[in-house]
Amino acid sequence: MQEFEDIQSLWQSHSVEVKISSEEMLEQAKKEVNGMRTKSLFNIGGMVISFIAISSLLLFFNFNSWTTSLGIVIIVLTVAVYTILLYREHRLISRNDFTEHPGAFLTKLHEYQLSRYNLYHKLYWFYAAPISFGFILFFFETLHNLSLIVQTAIVLFTILWMAFCATILRRSFMKREKERVDLLIEKFERISAQFKEQE
Amino acid sequence: MDQKDILFKQIFDSNSKKIFHLCYGYTGDADSANDLLQETFLKVWQNLDKFRQKSQISTWIYRIAVNTCLTYLRTEKRQAKDELTDKIIENKVEEYSEKNEQVALLYQSIAKLEENDRLIITMVLDELPYNEIADISGISEGNLRVKIHRIKQKLTELYNHHARI
Repeated sequence: MQEFEDIQSLWQSHSVEVKISSEEMLEQAKKEVNGMRTKSLFNIGGMVISFIAISSLLLFFNFNSWTTSLGIVIIVLTVAVYTILLYREHRLISRNDFTEHPGAFLTKLHEYQLSRYNLYHKLYWFYAAPISFGFILFFFETLHNLSLIVQTAIVLFTILWMAFCATILRRSFMKREKERVDLLIEKFERISAQFKEQE
Repeated sequence: MDQKDILFKQIFDSNSKKIFHLCYGYTGDADSANDLLQETFLKVWQNLDKFRQKSQISTWIYRIAVNTCLTYLRTEKRQAKDELTDKIIENKVEEYSEKNEQVALLYQSIAKLEENDRLIITMVLDELPYNEIADISGISEGNLRVKIHRIKQKLTELYNHHARI
């Protein structure tokens, strides 16, 4: 039979170790936001690489038909515009440090979420439509000399790939992105709430 | 390092252990306690300039930690505390010793208390003065004494009951 005093001495004898320093603690807090920033940067990086790769087609290959060049120009311009939009979004979350300016960061995070939603909903179709049109123009000349089977296979693959990107991939990406940002917003609002109540 | 960093480091070094223990007592596992410690000190870091010196800084931090603990489990919709504690005990079989078993029993008993009572008894176990606990928990000192007496009895009963099983 134990008395409360025994329980208290047991509690006090159980030492706990805080295995983190104040600097590491703040770093850890920044990590989640940094993860989101890195992903956004990779996204932009991928678009820049696509831009360079597609533009280089115009520089290193001689196409006979104007449709091919126009197709490539349309694709390149669409990629460029979308990359600029992605960069604008990236700036929303890259300029503020949550640990320093929680209120400002939360506002930007809400803006980021809304902007992201627009980019992958309405604006996505403004991206997919010119890209598809560009590919149609591009294929006029490039597929011309190929056999019918190969032509059909390439066109079918392109259509299926674009449909896959526009449906399954886009939806799952948006879902994951929304969950991640929702979690961050929820956490940061919870952290800020206590002091808002007291102000 | 600027002035704020130095001050924060001092505050963290002198308070983190007690706050971690409080969070550990409340959640019963180190990972959740670590999350709570981080949230608590993030709030401290962000609101350091709002601290008005009306109370001791440790009291202010305890108040933040108590609030953080109370809102954390609700919003995170964590697993029930009993399940958590059972898992921890299962996972730590290899670290078995009589003292570890007693400590596990103690956490299991604390877990059976109500949320507010859990936090209050943790502060009592850490020997915080009653006036400070009253300040942190927002209960008058008179009422707190009665409450603490009742929680102490309940915890002792629960502990002895678990120990007999």
